[in-house]
Amino acid sequence: MRNKKWTVFSTVMASTLLLAGCGSNSGNGGDGQAAATTSASPSASASGQASPSAQTDPVTLSAWIMPNSPKPDADFLKVMDPYLKEHPNVTLKVTVLDWGSAWTKITTAATSGEGPDILQLGTTWVPAIASMGGIDKITDKMGDVGGEASYLPASWNTTKIEGKEDIYGVPWFVDARAIYYNKEAFKAANVDPAEAFKTWDSFKSALEKVNGVTLDGKKVAALGVPGKNDWNVVHNIFPWIWAAGGDVLSADHKSVTFNDDKGVDGVMYYTGLANEGLVDKSSLEKNSSQIESDFGDGKSAVIITGPWLAKNFATPSKAGGMDDKAAAKQFAISPLPAGPSGQSTFIGGSDLTVFKGSKNKDAAWEVIKYLSTVEAQQAYADISGQLPANKNLIESPDLDANMKAFAEATKYGKSYPSIPQWGPTETALQKHFANIWDIVAGVKGKYDRDSIQKEMNDAASEVNSIIKQ
Amino acid sequence: MQPDNVTKRKANSYTSLQKSFRTNRFAYMLIVPTLLFMLLVHFLPMAQGIVMSMLKLNQFTLAQYLRAPFIGFDNYKSLLFDESNPIRQGMGFAVRNTVIYTIVVTFLVLAWGLLVAMLMNRPFPGRGIARTAMLLPWVVPSYVVGVLWGFMWQRDGIINYILVDLLHLMGEKPFWLIGHNTIWAIIIPTIWRGWPFLMVVFLAALQTIPEDIYEAARIDGAHKLRQFVHITLPLLKPVIAVQLLFQFINNVYSYNIVSTMFGNGAGYPGEWGDLLMTALTRQSFGYWAFGSGSAASFLLMVVMLVFVGIWYRTFRSELNSQ
Repeated sequence: MRNKKWTVFSTVMASTLLLAGCGSNSGNGGDGQAAATTSASPSASASGQASPSAQTDPVTLSAWIMPNSPKPDADFLKVMDPYLKEHPNVTLKVTVLDWGSAWTKITTAATSGEGPDILQLGTTWVPAIASMGGIDKITDKMGDVGGEASYLPASWNTTKIEGKEDIYGVPWFVDARAIYYNKEAFKAANVDPAEAFKTWDSFKSALEKVNGVTLDGKKVAALGVPGKNDWNVVHNIFPWIWAAGGDVLSADHKSVTFNDDKGVDGVMYYTGLANEGLVDKSSLEKNSSQIESDFGDGKSAVIITGPWLAKNFATPSKAGGMDDKAAAKQFAISPLPAGPSGQSTFIGGSDLTVFKGSKNKDAAWEVIKYLSTVEAQQAYADISGQLPANKNLIESPDLDANMKAFAEATKYGKSYPSIPQWGPTETALQKHFANIWDIVAGVKGKYDRDSIQKEMNDAASEVNSIIKQ
Repeated sequence: MQPDNVTKRKANSYTSLQKSFRTNRFAYMLIVPTLLFMLLVHFLPMAQGIVMSMLKLNQFTLAQYLRAPFIGFDNYKSLLFDESNPIRQGMGFAVRNTVIYTIVVTFLVLAWGLLVAMLMNRPFPGRGIARTAMLLPWVVPSYVVGVLWGFMWQRDGIINYILVDLLHLMGEKPFWLIGHNTIWAIIIPTIWRGWPFLMVVFLAALQTIPEDIYEAARIDGAHKLRQFVHITLPLLKPVIAVQLLFQFINNVYSYNIVSTMFGNGAGYPGEWGDLLMTALTRQSFGYWAFGSGSAASFLLMVVMLVFVGIWYRTFRSELNSQ
C-alpha cells in the first residue's frame, strides 16, 4: 500500500510541476482532473436548435483549456466575465489540462464520449481529433465568427483536415516565433539591429560581431538555442527549412520533402551557427524556459521564441514573471531573417472546438462565439501574452511595439500540414532532430553535411511510413 | 493409483475446502472487498490490454476502442518480424540501456543500502537523526528528482562545477544530458533516491538477528568479514531475495526520472537515455500505435514473468524457510 500512496502523492506533485508543457507559462494549473460533470439542459439537447427557453434555462458548461496564461483558469474566467454577467443562466466550469497529459485525456474523452463542452486543441491536434470523430463539424456556423477572412491563412489552415472542406475549430490565439535581441549587447558590439536581421548573411555576421561582447562584466554568447531536451525542437528547425525553400511534405501531402537539398541547406545554416561557436554549447542541453531565462540574465544576445516572453518580461517577479531580469528592459523583437527563399516563421497556437459528446452544443457555441469577438480576443491576448487570432487585431495599429514585431512575423508564417497523422510525424521528427543536435554538440559522430543528410533521410523514411498509413 | 482413490481424494479435498471455508468464513469475507478491488483495478485493465493487443487500434480506429477490427496475432507478428513497426524504432537502444540501468542500479542500491544499514545498526549518538536524515532522498518524489538532477547535470551546472572547477578531475566540462554520458545521468539519481528505502528494510531485518549469534561467533574467533559472510548474509537472504525482485521489477519499469529530466516527456532522451518504458510510451502514444503498444507491453510482461520464475526457483528454499 505504501507504493500506492506514493503513486498518488507523486501524481499530485507531477500535476503541479509538469505545467511547463507547450509554453513558458508556469503557474497555478488547476486541479488537473477531468471534471466531466455536465448538467444537461433538456430543452437545448432535445431540440438541437437554440429554442427561446435555451437562452434562459440554467446550463453548466465545462471547458478544457491548457495553461495559456499565468493563472489559466482565473484568467479565462476573467475574460468570460462580461458574457457570464449577461447570461446569468450559464455556469462555466474550467478545467486546466497540462500539455503533457492533455493528449491522453482528450483522446480518452473522445473515445468514451465523456468530456467537456468546449475544448481547446493545439492547432496540430485538430485534424487528428476531427478524424477520430471527437469534435463537431462547425462549417455552417463559421459566419458567426467571421469566416476565413478574419484569420491568418496559416491559422485558418489548422481548422480543417488537409484536402477537405469541413471546418472543425475556430482559431483562438496564435503562437509565432520571432527574434528577441538584447539592445545593449548590439550597442556594445556596434551592430545596427535594423541591418542585422535582414538576411541570413547579415544575421550571421551580426552574430559573429556580438559574440563575446561583455555586458555588466560578463561575456555574452551570440545566440541561445535549446537543443534536444525540449518541446520545441521541431518548431525551432522548420522556419529555417522553409526559409531555404524546403517544405515538410510535397504539395499533395503524399511524400516527404524536408530532406531535399533545400531542407538540408536550412538545417545546415541553423545548426552551423551553433557549430561555428556562435552558441554557447551548454545551451544545447537546456529547454526553452531555461534559454529564455538565460537571455533574461544577459547570457545570450539573441534568442528565438514566442510572444509570451514579452509578457513575462512585463510581469512582476512576485507574480511569476521576469521583470527583475536584466534583459527585461533591454530587449527588442524582430522577425526572422530572410533565407534564399524569403522570410518564414512557425505558426501554431490553439483552436476552440465543440466536443462531440457535449449535451449543450448550442450554449457551447455561444461561448466560442463570444471568445471570438474583438473584445474577448483583445482581453485574452492582453492577459495571456499570446497573439490574438483575429486578423483585424493582429493588423491593428494600436498594438504595442513588441506585438507589432510579432504581427509582422506572422505575415511570413507557415503552419504544418493539417494532416491527421501530424502527431506521430512530429514525434518521429523530434527524435531525429534530437540526434542532429547530438551531432552538433559533438557527442554523436562528426558534424558535416553528410551526417546531417543521413539523419534527415532516416527521419524522412520514418515519416514516409507514417503518412502512408 | 486406483481411480477410486482419485475420486475419493478429490472428494476429500473438496470437503476439506468446504470445511476450511466454514471455519474461516469471516476471514474470507474480509478478503472479498480486496479481491473485488484487485479484479477491478488490476485484472480487468490487464485483460483489456490483452484484448487491445489483438486489435488494429490506431488513431483512425481509436474511437471504436474495443470494437476496433480484430486482427489476432498480427500485432505480435509485426512487432517481432516487421522492422518498420513504429514500436520498434529505437527500441534496441532502449533495451540495451534498460539492461545496463537495471543491473547497475539494482546491484548498487542493494549493496549501498546494506552497507549503510550495517553502519546504522550500531549505537552511536544522534543515530535517530542520522537515520531520518538519510531517508530524505526517498521522500523526494521521483518527478522532482528528475527535475532537480536535470538542473544539476547541466554543463554549467553544479556537478560540473564540483568535478571540474573545484576538484579538477576533468579537463573540460562534459555534457551529461546529451550523448553517451546520459546513462549515468539517469542511473545516479535513481540510486540516490533508491538506497534509503533499502537501508530501512535491511536495518529492520538486521535488528531481528539476535546479538548472541554474533557473540558466539566472536568467542569462536570469527572476524568481522566472516561474521558478515556466515551470519549476516545467510540470515538476510530472504529479505535480500525479496528486495532483489522488487528492485529488478521497479528498475525495468522505471519511467519518471527519465521522463522529467528530458523535456517533460516531450523530448527524446537520446540513444543513451531512453529506457524501455519511456520508449514504449513515446512510441505507442506518440505514434498512436495502441494495438502494437499493448502487444509490446504484454510481451514484456511475459519476459518479466520468466524472470520472476527464475528468481523463484533460485530462492525457493530461502522463501519457504520463512
